[in-house]
Amino acid sequence: MTIFDWQSELNRDGHRVVISGQPIAMHCHHYNINLQKTLEETLGAEGVQLLYRSVEETNYNGLQHLFNQYKKIRTLKSKLEMAALLYQNCGMGILHFKKVRPNSAYIVSTSNHHVTGWLAKHGRRNTPGCHFTRGWIAGTLEVIYERPLGFYIVEERRCKMQGDDTCVFHVKER
Amino acid sequence: MAIDGTKIIHAVMEGSKIRESKGIIPLFGVYLSLCATQYYNKLSFDFEEKMGKKRESEARTLLIGAAQECGYATFQGIRDSWEWKQVVAPMIENKEDQILGFAAVAVAFGWGDLEVEELIPGEKLIIRVSDSYEARGYLEQHGLAKSEKCYMLRGVAGAFMDLIYGGDYPEGLYVFSASETLCRAKGDAYCEFIARKSSHRSDA
Repeated sequence: MTIFDWQSELNRDGHRVVISGQPIAMHCHHYNINLQKTLEETLGAEGVQLLYRSVEETNYNGLQHLFNQYKKIRTLKSKLEMAALLYQNCGMGILHFKKVRPNSAYIVSTSNHHVTGWLAKHGRRNTPGCHFTRGWIAGTLEVIYERPLGFYIVEERRCKMQGDDTCVFHVKER
Repeated sequence: MAIDGTKIIHAVMEGSKIRESKGIIPLFGVYLSLCATQYYNKLSFDFEEKMGKKRESEARTLLIGAAQECGYATFQGIRDSWEWKQVVAPMIENKEDQILGFAAVAVAFGWGDLEVEELIPGEKLIIRVSDSYEARGYLEQHGLAKSEKCYMLRGVAGAFMDLIYGGDYPEGLYVFSASETLCRAKGDAYCEFIARKSSHRSDA
């Protein structure tokens, strides 16, 4: 699938950085992990949910914009490929959409920014910690299946932050 | 030689297109990510709102602290990196030039059009930004603010001074702290950050 040329989509608009015209910021693992830790420690489950919802909504809007722009990307397979390509090229890591249906999905991540960042800063943790990726997957599938925000629940059943070999995500309807 | 921001922007843009096989962007000594500004703004402003009126000040302190700690570690990594030595170091003639280099990297990262207005070595740094993504995001999502909203840049302004005048890394964190005296989110023409020695770090 070469219809989506991400290199030409990553540009500058004056002092702003944009992907397909949408403003982005480059941040490193120190900031991303600090934000996650701040939210988790200060608000607990509510903080986790806030992070999840923020990325779910942002990715929903971003992918909707991209799919509207790339009308030739129509099939489920090509949309999932485009989503995985975007995730990878934004430095977020690798996502394998293993089994995706309208009411359930199973996704594996062999590496990702938050795992690398968390382990580098804090070492292993006792609970799954890829809340960013969970929200990202939810937003992706809600756009692809034209469902409203919050339609899917994404659970992380295995996580490299805990010492598992891969991160494994299961998706179901809320 | 003056700091040439264009060269730094070019290096960041080229570097940010390089991926290793795991989908991670190792650049300037850190793992970089590219994410919509909407995400960071939503996270910060919703966090502030969720904390409520009673914990408003705590929310701001946490967000500014997260950014200052990150800015301190990030820019330490950046100035130790191979890319800094290749691209930026040849343009640096004195200690103060490092701050100009840091500001140019921040512009390259898409944080806003940072300009160093004044720098009194070891004492004071003034940075102005006419288009910070935080102020713009707040205005777009919530309208005019009652208080300043650029928590990330405020923390980063303090971190810049910590790194240059705070003493040996990693002991210098929070030697300086910044205030945001003007903010576009509350209707000012630009955002202004003033970093000075922290009053609560008596050991500095």
